[in-house]
Amino acid sequence: MTRDNSIDKILLRVAEIMIQELKLEDVTPETFDPALDLVDEVGIDSMDLATVALVIRDEYRIRIDEDDYPKLTSAQLIAEYIERKLKEKAAEGAAV
Amino acid sequence: MVITTENNGGGGNPLPEKEWKFSEILADPRILERWQKVKKWFFLRESTYDMTNRCNIRCDGCYYYEGDKQFARENRELDAWRALMQSEKKRGITYVVLAGAEPSLVLDRCEVCHQEIPLGAIATNGLIFIPESIQYRIHISVWGSDETSLNIRKAKNMLRRQIENYRNDPRAVFVYTFTRENIDQAQPVAEILASEGCRLTFNMFSAPVGYQGTLRHTADSLGECRNVMIDLLGKYPCNVLFSPYSAVAHTHTLGLHDLFSCSYPRMNPSTDIGLGRSFRQYRADLSWDRDAACCVPDTDCPDCRHYAAGSAVVTARMFRHATDPDSFKAWIDYVDTYLAVWVMGYEKGPNLSDNPIAPPGHEIY
Repeated sequence: MTRDNSIDKILLRVAEIMIQELKLEDVTPETFDPALDLVDEVGIDSMDLATVALVIRDEYRIRIDEDDYPKLTSAQLIAEYIERKLKEKAAEGAAV
Repeated sequence: MVITTENNGGGGNPLPEKEWKFSEILADPRILERWQKVKKWFFLRESTYDMTNRCNIRCDGCYYYEGDKQFARENRELDAWRALMQSEKKRGITYVVLAGAEPSLVLDRCEVCHQEIPLGAIATNGLIFIPESIQYRIHISVWGSDETSLNIRKAKNMLRRQIENYRNDPRAVFVYTFTRENIDQAQPVAEILASEGCRLTFNMFSAPVGYQGTLRHTADSLGECRNVMIDLLGKYPCNVLFSPYSAVAHTHTLGLHDLFSCSYPRMNPSTDIGLGRSFRQYRADLSWDRDAACCVPDTDCPDCRHYAAGSAVVTARMFRHATDPDSFKAWIDYVDTYLAVWVMGYEKGPNLSDNPIAPPGHEIY
């Protein structure tokens, strides 16, 4: 089965992961504000973000560079990063 | 998933046979249990504070009396200290390290800090008892036998006096600092501390900027320290708070910055997240300077193997250790050790990893 990797779907899944891993309350994936600054507004720290990055790495089977994840400070940025990595991966696969 | 062997390359560890998913690593119930245990403490956000510019002894190679922080005009106003702690709390600091020069000389200030931020540690030479109302971890510095302490710290019967003050004190962790000259004294000192029921951990002398004295480590002395640390960990597992990976990380020929990229502001320009964003090192006049901010200011960064630095620097590198179960177990042992050393009430579990392994991307030495 082909996974729907449109940006909206990715965003929804990222929000689910955030809510689960960061134990966020009073918010659903549908109401999660993708522009919310996770550091300034949610108060997450580098260890939280590293944990989220590891879960996303598992889920989408993409390479996440250690220098990259500290910059992914909103669900929107994370989703765009995943989308870009998936496109790169697909291009690499097509080239082989 | 594409975390590959690049982080484990360079020898030391065999290359992972497969590309591990994080969920697969956590499928081991021992790892999962320990992960859940340490994860609860990820909220800790530290800063450090020089409490006074006075000390009751003067040690060779003391980092405090290097650089200009020793000349800061000491703020003696308790209200100012309380206001500082309140503002620290507001900006998210949850853990304080009270250090330089000797915090036990200003107990009222320590008391105020504890009243405002209840988690923390005090670095002390242990010659003055800190009252039990201050429920911080108490780190008591030990630099060798009493004869050595007399020579380099100019204080008599130091270990005996430290033990008398802190025997059976659940706050106390004795911190044995390995210099190039006291490696052989660690065994008898550990034996005494263990026989008194005291807990200890290990630190490595890390030279202050410009220091060229005989305490500075060489490749040979680093190797000797590693062997002694692992030997003592095996001999006194109930007393020694350490892990095989802690020994590797702190006795490697490369310092902590070269191994793990120091995350303190002094070496880390990023203010995005983590220590680069939140850490401050306050001087006794309550000023701070981002360019000088780290847990042991005026240490020569390439030589830094300090236990306090490692506690933050190695811990922050979870991502690069999550490549395979062995690397992750080593990292989690390190974090479990760090929490036991620094957090009141946290009890260390048995190490998950029995053997030293190489830091990601490096040789084991």
